[in-house]
Amino acid sequence: MNPVVKKVLGSSVVGALTSPLSVDDYLALIDGRLSLSEPRGRVTQAIRQTPDSVTLVIAPNDNWQGHRPGQHVLLGVDLDGVRHSRCFSVASAPDQATLEITVKRNGEGRVSNYLVDQAARGQLVYLSPAEGEFYPEARTAHPALLLSAGSGITPVMSVLRYWITNRQLRDVVFIHYARTRADMIYADELEALAQRHDGLRVETVFTADGGDRISEASLTRLVPDLATRETWLCGPAGFMDVADALVTAASDLPLHREQFAATRREAAHGEGSVRFLKSDIAASGESGSLLEVAEGAGLKPNYGCRMGICHACKCRVAEGSVRDLRTNRVRDVRDSDIQLCIHAAAGDVAVEL
Amino acid sequence: MGKPTHLSKEDIEAFGREIDAVRDEVMNDLGERDARYIRSILKTQRYSEVAGRALLMAGFLPPAWLSGVGLLSLSKILENMEIGHNVMHGQWDWMNDPSIDSATYDWDNTCPAHQWKHSHNYMHHTFTNIVDLDRDVGYGILRMSEDQAWRPQHLAQPLTAATLATFFQWGVALHDLEVERLGKDKTFKEAAVQAREIWAKARKQVLKDYLLFPALAGPMFAPVLAGNITANLNRNLWSFLIIFCGHFTDEVEMYDVEETREETRGQWYLRQLLGSSNLTGSVPFHILTGHLSYQIEHHLFPDMPSHRYREVAPKIQEICERYGLNYNTGPLTKQFGGVVKRILRMSLPNRRKRNTLEATPSTDAPVYAEAA
Repeated sequence: MNPVVKKVLGSSVVGALTSPLSVDDYLALIDGRLSLSEPRGRVTQAIRQTPDSVTLVIAPNDNWQGHRPGQHVLLGVDLDGVRHSRCFSVASAPDQATLEITVKRNGEGRVSNYLVDQAARGQLVYLSPAEGEFYPEARTAHPALLLSAGSGITPVMSVLRYWITNRQLRDVVFIHYARTRADMIYADELEALAQRHDGLRVETVFTADGGDRISEASLTRLVPDLATRETWLCGPAGFMDVADALVTAASDLPLHREQFAATRREAAHGEGSVRFLKSDIAASGESGSLLEVAEGAGLKPNYGCRMGICHACKCRVAEGSVRDLRTNRVRDVRDSDIQLCIHAAAGDVAVEL
Repeated sequence: MGKPTHLSKEDIEAFGREIDAVRDEVMNDLGERDARYIRSILKTQRYSEVAGRALLMAGFLPPAWLSGVGLLSLSKILENMEIGHNVMHGQWDWMNDPSIDSATYDWDNTCPAHQWKHSHNYMHHTFTNIVDLDRDVGYGILRMSEDQAWRPQHLAQPLTAATLATFFQWGVALHDLEVERLGKDKTFKEAAVQAREIWAKARKQVLKDYLLFPALAGPMFAPVLAGNITANLNRNLWSFLIIFCGHFTDEVEMYDVEETREETRGQWYLRQLLGSSNLTGSVPFHILTGHLSYQIEHHLFPDMPSHRYREVAPKIQEICERYGLNYNTGPLTKQFGGVVKRILRMSLPNRRKRNTLEATPSTDAPVYAEAA
C-alpha cells in the first residue's frame, strides 16, 4: 500500500468514519490481503519438490516486519469455513521480498495436508510476526553442526542460507536424516551448495534405505570433532531427545533447539478436576490438555497453533497445579496466565473461562 | 390457546430431546456453505453502506438522496439485525475469524456490545417472558402482560411505544442501566460506570453520522445529515417492528417466577417456543429481519447461524404438531396487529382474571437478585 494512503487510512478521522467497524473490514472488499496492521500474504508459487511436501513462496503485505533466519511464523488458512493456524519455519533468507515455507504431509494434520494437496497460486494466508529464538548471532565464533531430521530441515536451512548470503560460512557440517532420498526436501539445493562451498560438508542419512538411525557411534563417525562445534538442532520430538542427549554429552558449546514439529512428549492427559469459573462448569482433567478439556466441556476458548507457540489460548488460572506438556514439569499457579494447549491439570485447577 | 396441560413430565423431556437432535444435526454440519453465506451478507452490507453514503453526497438531486437513504437504511438494518445481533450471539464464533467473533465485535448502534450481551444474550434469552426477570417484557416502560402491575402512566403507553420505536437505538442503549433497580439492589456507582460506557459509544456514533460524514460532504452538509438521520430512523422503526412481533403478539405466553423456578431443559425449550412468535415471508424479508422472523427457532438455538433457521423451522413445526403445541406464526400484518392490540389492552387495568392456574403475588427485587 502506498505509504501516504496508508497514513490517511490509519488516521483517527478515517477510524471515526468507519467506527465501530475497522478500516480493514472495508479494505477486505478490495482484496483480502489488504490490512492496516495485520501481516497477511498470498501464495505466488507452490512448488512440489517431493510427493508429500510443498514449498510455498508467499508475497506478504507491507505489515510483514521480516524475520531472522531460523524463526517461524504462524500461518492461518480458512478450511471448510474455519480459520486454522499452524506454525511453520521460514526457510528463506531474511533479505528477500518473499518468504518461503516448506510444509510436509503430517498424519492427521489438516492444515499441512491441505497445503500439500491443494495450496495454489493466489491462496490467501494470514500471518503472525516472525517468532522464535532459533537464530544465529551476527558472527559465529565456533565451527557449527547443523543437525536435522524430516521437516526439521527448514529452520536449519534458513540458518545455513543466512551464513552463505553473509559470507560467514567457515566450517559447517550439516547432517540430515530422512526416510528416503525421495522424501528429502532441499536435497538438490544442499548438494549444489556443498559442491560450491568448501566450508560446508553435507551428510545425508536415509533410514529407510539402510542408513543408521542416530546413535553415539554413528554421530561420532560422522562428526569426530563434535566437541568443538556449536549445534543447531531441529526435528521430531523423539529424534530431538536422542540428539540432545548425545550432543550435550559430547560438547559443552551452545546447543540451539527449535522444537515445534511435535511439541508434546506423550499423549496428553491430566489428573484431577478442572473448574471453569465464568461458565460454572466442572470437568475431569484427564481427557487431555486444558484446551481439550475446555472444548470437551462445550466451551470455545480462543486457540491458534495448539502447540504452545502462538499464545492465542492464553487464559488466567485462578489456582491449581498444572503440568507443562513440553517438559512434563508440574508447577503450582495462582492468578497467572498460561497457555491452555500445552498444559494439563496436575490436580484440581480453577480456570477463568 | 393457553399453556399446554396435556403433556406429562416425560413428554416434555422427550420433546426436549427431539429439539436437541435438530440442533445437533445442524451444528455438526457447519462449514463452507455457512461461511459463504455470512461473507456475502458482510459484502452486501458494506457495499450498500459505501454506495449509500456516496449517493447522499450528491443529495441535492432527489433521486440520489432517496436511493442513498434507501441503501444506507438497508446497510444499517443488515448490520444491526443479520450481522451484529447474530455475531454477538456467537453464531459465527466457530469460524475462528476475529472480525466476526462475539468477543470482539461491536455493532453500528449506540448500545455498547458487552452491555447488550448481558441484557440480551443472558437476561432476555435465559429468562424469556418471565415477568420481572426478563426486562425485555415492556423494557421497563411498557406494560405487556397482566402479570405486570397496572399504573396510571400506562394509559399513555401507545404514545410511549411510538416514542420508543422512533428512538429505539437509544432505548436499547439505556436498557442495561436497569434504572428501576437503582437504589434497590443496584448502586448508582455501578450505573455511573455503565453510563460512561454508553456515552463513550454513543458519542462515536453521533460524531460519525451527524457530524463527520455531513462535514465531509461540505456544501452537502444538510442533505447528508438529513439522510443519516432518516436511515437511523428507518432502522429504529424496522427493528422495533420486528422485535415486538417476536414476543408480544396475541398468543404468546407470559410466565411468572414461580412457574419456572425449577425448570428442566425440556421445560426451558417449551417456554422459549410458547414465548416467541414467527413471521412468514420471503427469503429477503427473513434476511432483513436478521432471521428474527424465525424468533421461535432463534430462541431455541440462539447460537445457531441464522440462515439455518429457515431449514430447521419445518422440523420444529412438525415436532410441535406431534406434541399438540402451538407454533405461533403469521404474516407481519396479523402479528403486528396482535402487538398493537396488546399495547392498547394493557394500557387499561385488568378486565379479566389472569389465565395462569393460580395467582402468585409478583415478587420484585429480591427474586431478581437471586436469579441473577
